[in-house]
Amino acid sequence: MAAPPPPAHWSHFEQEQARDVRALVQQVTGLGEEEPGGRFQAALSFTSSNFRFHRFLDVSSHKVERTVEGIYEKLIIHSELGKAVSWKRLTEKFLNLPLPNTEKTKTDAHYAILSLLLCLSDSPSNTNYVEKPREKEVEKEEEFNWGKYLMEGEEIYFGPDMNSPDWSEDSEEEEDTQPLSREDSGIQVDRTPQEEQDQNKKMVPNVTWKVGEPDARSWLEQHVAPQYWTGRAPRFSHSLHLHSNLAAVWEQHLYSSDPLYMPEERTLVTETHVIRETLWLLSGVKKLFIFQLNEGKVTVRNDIIVTHLTHNCLRSVLEQIAAYGQVVFRLQKFIDEVMGHSSENLTHGALSTPKKATGAPFRTYQAFMWSLYKYFISFKEELTEIEKSIINKDKTITLSIVIDKLLPRLAQLKVLHKVFSTGVAEVPPDTPNVLRASHLLNTLYKAILEYDSVGEASEQTVSLLFSLWVETVRPYLQTVDEWIVHGNLFDPAKEFIIQRNKNVPVNHRDFWYATYTLYSVSEKTENEEKMSDNASASSGSDQAPSSRQHTMVSFLKPVLKQIIMAGKSMQLLKNLQCKDGSPQQTASRDAERKSLYTLFLESVQSRLRHGEESVSDIITEQQATKQSLIKMQSIAERHLELDVVHDPLLAINFARLYLEQSDFHEKFTGGDVCVDRSSESVTCQTFELTLRSCLYPHIDKQYLECCGNLMQTLKKDYRLVEYLQAMRNFFLLEAGDTMYDFYTSIFDKIREKETWQNVSFLNVQLQEAVGQRYPEDSSRLSISFESVDTAKKKLPVHTLDGLTLSYKVPWPVDIVISLECQKIYNQVFLLLLQIKWAKYSLDVLRFDELVSAAEKPQLKEGPLLQQERVPQFGPHTELIKQQIHRMFLLRVKLMHFVNSLHNYIMTRILHSTGLEFQHQVEEAKDLDQLIKIHYRYLSTIHDRCLLREKVSFVKEAIMKVLNLVLMFTERWQAGLGAWKMESIEKMESDFKNCHMFLVTVLNKAVCRGSFPHLESLAVSLMAGMEQS
Amino acid sequence: MASNAANLNAVRETMDVLFEISRILNTGLDMETLSICVRLCEQGINPEALSSVIKELRKATEALKFFYFIFEVWEPELSTIYKAAENMTS
Repeated sequence: MAAPPPPAHWSHFEQEQARDVRALVQQVTGLGEEEPGGRFQAALSFTSSNFRFHRFLDVSSHKVERTVEGIYEKLIIHSELGKAVSWKRLTEKFLNLPLPNTEKTKTDAHYAILSLLLCLSDSPSNTNYVEKPREKEVEKEEEFNWGKYLMEGEEIYFGPDMNSPDWSEDSEEEEDTQPLSREDSGIQVDRTPQEEQDQNKKMVPNVTWKVGEPDARSWLEQHVAPQYWTGRAPRFSHSLHLHSNLAAVWEQHLYSSDPLYMPEERTLVTETHVIRETLWLLSGVKKLFIFQLNEGKVTVRNDIIVTHLTHNCLRSVLEQIAAYGQVVFRLQKFIDEVMGHSSENLTHGALSTPKKATGAPFRTYQAFMWSLYKYFISFKEELTEIEKSIINKDKTITLSIVIDKLLPRLAQLKVLHKVFSTGVAEVPPDTPNVLRASHLLNTLYKAILEYDSVGEASEQTVSLLFSLWVETVRPYLQTVDEWIVHGNLFDPAKEFIIQRNKNVPVNHRDFWYATYTLYSVSEKTENEEKMSDNASASSGSDQAPSSRQHTMVSFLKPVLKQIIMAGKSMQLLKNLQCKDGSPQQTASRDAERKSLYTLFLESVQSRLRHGEESVSDIITEQQATKQSLIKMQSIAERHLELDVVHDPLLAINFARLYLEQSDFHEKFTGGDVCVDRSSESVTCQTFELTLRSCLYPHIDKQYLECCGNLMQTLKKDYRLVEYLQAMRNFFLLEAGDTMYDFYTSIFDKIREKETWQNVSFLNVQLQEAVGQRYPEDSSRLSISFESVDTAKKKLPVHTLDGLTLSYKVPWPVDIVISLECQKIYNQVFLLLLQIKWAKYSLDVLRFDELVSAAEKPQLKEGPLLQQERVPQFGPHTELIKQQIHRMFLLRVKLMHFVNSLHNYIMTRILHSTGLEFQHQVEEAKDLDQLIKIHYRYLSTIHDRCLLREKVSFVKEAIMKVLNLVLMFTERWQAGLGAWKMESIEKMESDFKNCHMFLVTVLNKAVCRGSFPHLESLAVSLMAGMEQS
Repeated sequence: MASNAANLNAVRETMDVLFEISRILNTGLDMETLSICVRLCEQGINPEALSSVIKELRKATEALKFFYFIFEVWEPELSTIYKAAENMTS
C-alpha cells in the first residue's frame, strides 16, 4: 500500500515536512507505512499533533549557549579533558558551518538543532568518547587512499562484513542494511576522480574498499615475517640515516664513478634474517635462502644485500660462515651415515661400508660419531639460545656479535674438521677396518699431542679433542677389557689391532704363538704388514725397528705387550679353568667388577678434579709463593754477597729458579688442566702422562693379575717346574745315578762290541734305570735311534750319533717345553753322552790289563822264538816298558783332559746355569717371559757346551780328542801287541796338537774376557800342558 | 556546479561535526535520523517538541517490541495477551 498522497491544497513546504515526519517515524519506530493495525498512522498522527500543538517556548540562543558552556564545564569537572576540548571545538565549528538549507551561520536553526541534541542527550559524561574521529578520519583517509592506490587492480574481495567503522556500533540494524557507509563514499568523492572510480568499479565490481581493511593488512604485515626468500620481498621501511644506507650510498658511488657499472637486481634482507640463517646453517639446516647447498658445498647467494653493508663486505663475512656451515654439514653427513639413516648415494670413499652391509657395526666409527653427535647437541643448544634472544629482542644482536660469541665454537669446528678429514675422510675406501680404526685413533691422539704442546692457547681444543678421543677409544678399550678379563677377543668388525686366527684351537701346542695376528700399521707408508704375533710378542717393543715408529694404535703401544700377554694368558687360563670348573664364582666376581673403560674414566675424572682443586688453591698458593720468594731472595742475596756480587735482579732470578724447582714436582703431578705450562717439557708430556697414570696402571694391574694367575696355575696345577726339572734330570743327566745306570749299560755293550742299537734294548735299559727312581717319568720317556750317514760313522766318537731321547710333555706345559727345545736338549744330551763315554772308557781301563796283554803274546810265542829273542830281550822289554809307560802317561793325560772337560760341563756350565734358570723361573711374570727364559737358558747351555756353529772349530778339536780317547782305549784293550811305537807317538802328537790348540784358543778367549765361564776350562787344560 | 560541490562538502562537514556532537551527548541518533531532525528543525519544528516526540516514539517501540515477542511465542493465548496489552497501554 503506497503512502497516501498529500492533500492538494498543501504547499510544497508542508508536503516536504509531512514527508520528513514520515521518514522520522519510520526511522525511529522501525514501522512501515503498511503496518497492520494502524500503528504507523497512530504514531504519525501523534507526531504531527505534537509538532503543531505543544507548550514549549521558542529556542533561545543564549540559553543554548549557556547549556553548551555548562556541559563543557561539566566535562572539565569530570576531568574528561579530551571530550571537553572536542566538545567545545565541535560546537563552535558547527555554529560556524552552513546547514543544508540554510546558508548562514549561527542561525536559529543551528541553535534549534543544538537544543534538540541537548534535549536528547543522555548523560554525556558517562559515555566513552575517547577517540577523536575527526583526526583519525583524516589519517584513515590517507591510509585508505594509499592502500587503494597500491592495491589498484588487485582482485581481492573483502566482503561487506569486513566493514566495521568505529562509530556505527550504536546502530547495527541500520548498518546491516547499509553496506556502504557515507563516510567512505565521501572520501572516495573527495580524493578520487570520478572517472577513475567508475573505471575501478567496472573492473572489479566486487571490490568494496573498507576503512578497516588496511588495518588488518598492516596487522598482518607486522606479525607475519616478510617472505624474503621468495625473491620479491616487500620493500620494508628502514631508517634513512646515512649509516643504515651504506649499501645504497656505495652503489650510488659505484654507479657514478664507473661508467660501465651495471647495478644488479638484489634481494634486500635484514641483518636479523642473515643472523638467523647463519644460526640455522650452523645447526645443520640444509634448505636455506642465503646459504645454498650444492653437491656438498655450501655457497653464499650472490644477490643478497643488507642496507648497511656493501655487497662485498657482506659476502666476505658470509663466506666465512659458509665454510663453517660446510664443516657442519660434512660432519652431520658422517653422523647420518654412521647412524645408518643416510641416503645410499655414498659417492666419496670414506664410508662405502661394504662391511657394514655384511654385518657387524664398526664400533670405533660409531663411538666417534656419538662423540661428535654429543658435541653437536651442545652446539645446537647454544645456537638455540642465541636465536631465542633474537626472538625476544631483549638485547642488541648483530652478526658480528653472534660471530664473536661463536668464535670458540667455530675454532673447535675447524679442529674437528681437520681431525675428521685426516682421520676419516681421507682414508681410501677399501681400507680394512683395523686400519681405519687405528688411523682414526692415531689421528686424534696425534692431534691431542700436537695441540697439547702448544700450551695454554689451545687448552679448549685439547679438552675437546680429549673428550672426543676418550669417547672414540671406548670400543677399543672394551675389546681390550673383554680380552684381558674374559679371555675372548670379541671384535666382530675386525677393528682391533690384534685378531684371532680361527684355525688354531686353544688347547693346541701352537696356541701361544700362532693364535693372534698383530696388525702393525705403518703410518708413513700406509701399507699393512702382518707381523707374526710370535715375532712381535717375543721381540717386544724394544726391538721394534725405528722405521715403524707410528705403527698401530700408538696410545696402546707402551702396554701392547702387556695386553697381548694378558689376553692370551687369560684365554689360556679360562681354558684351563674350564676343566677345573668354577664358572659361578667367576660370574659373581665379574658382576662386581668395573670395566676397564669405567676405571679409566674414573681415574681421568679424579685426576682432572684434582687439577681443579689445585686451581682453586693456586690463588692462596700465589701469596705463599710471594712470601717465600722474598725469603728466597734474601737468602740468595746473602749467597751472592759472599762472592762480593751485588745484583738484586740476579738474586730475584735465583730465588725464582729455586722456587720453580721446588714446586716443579707438584705441578708435574697436577694433570693437564692446571699444569703450569711455562715449562715445555711438562706440556709435551702431560697427555701421555695422563694416559700413563690413568689407563696403563689398570691394564698393568690386570696383566699382572692374570699372568700371575696363569703362572701360578701352570706351576701349581700343571707342575711346570717339575717338568723343567725332569728335562734337566734326564737330558742334562742331572739325575746322575739313574742315567749312569742307563748309559753304562750301553757303553758296556759297545765295549764288548755287541749290538746296542736295538730300540727295544735301549728302551728297556732306560725304563729299568728310570723306573726305579722316577716311576711317573718312565712312561713319558722313550729313546729312539736313527742311523746317521755312514761317512761320520767311521769315527768312533760318532757312534752314538742318532740316539734321541724324547719326553712326552703334556699340554699346556708343552707351550714352554716345545719340541724345538727338546732338540736342543738332545744335542746337549748327545754331547754329554760322548764325554761320559770317553770318560767311562778311560775309567774302566786297567793297568794290569795292559801289562798282562804285553806279556801274553811273549808267553805264547816264547818257546818258539825264545832263542832268537833272547839277545833282543833286554832292549825289547825296555822298549815295551817304555811303551807301557808312555801309554800310562798318555792315558793319564787324556783322563786329565776328559775330566777337565767333564767337570767344566757338568758343574761349571750345567749346574750353575741351571741354578740361575731356576731362580729366573721363580720370578717370571708371564708365560711369555717364562718361555723366553727357557729359551735363553737353552741357548746359553748350547753356547757354553760349544755347540754353536761359530765355535765349531773348538768343538772339532774336542771331538778329535774324544775320538783319540776312544781309539786309545780300544787299542789298550786290544793289547800291547797291536801297538806300534809310531802309533803311540802319533796319538801323543795328535793329542798334543789338539791340546795346544785348545789351550791357545781358550786362553785367547779368556784374555779377551768375552767368555768368563771358559776360564776354568782353560786353566785346567793349561795345567795339563805344563806337566807335559 | 563547482559551488554546488563546495556546498555539498560544507554540508557534509556540518553533518560530520553534528554527528560527533551527537555522539558526545550520547543521543543515540544515527546519521539518517539526525539528518531528518536537522531538516525538521530547519523547517521550524520546535526542537523540544521534536525531542519529546522522539523519546515517546522510542518508548512505544520498546513496549511494542516486547509484546510482539510474546505474541510470537504464545500464539494460542494471543487474544488474552493482546487484551492485557491494550489494558496496559490504555
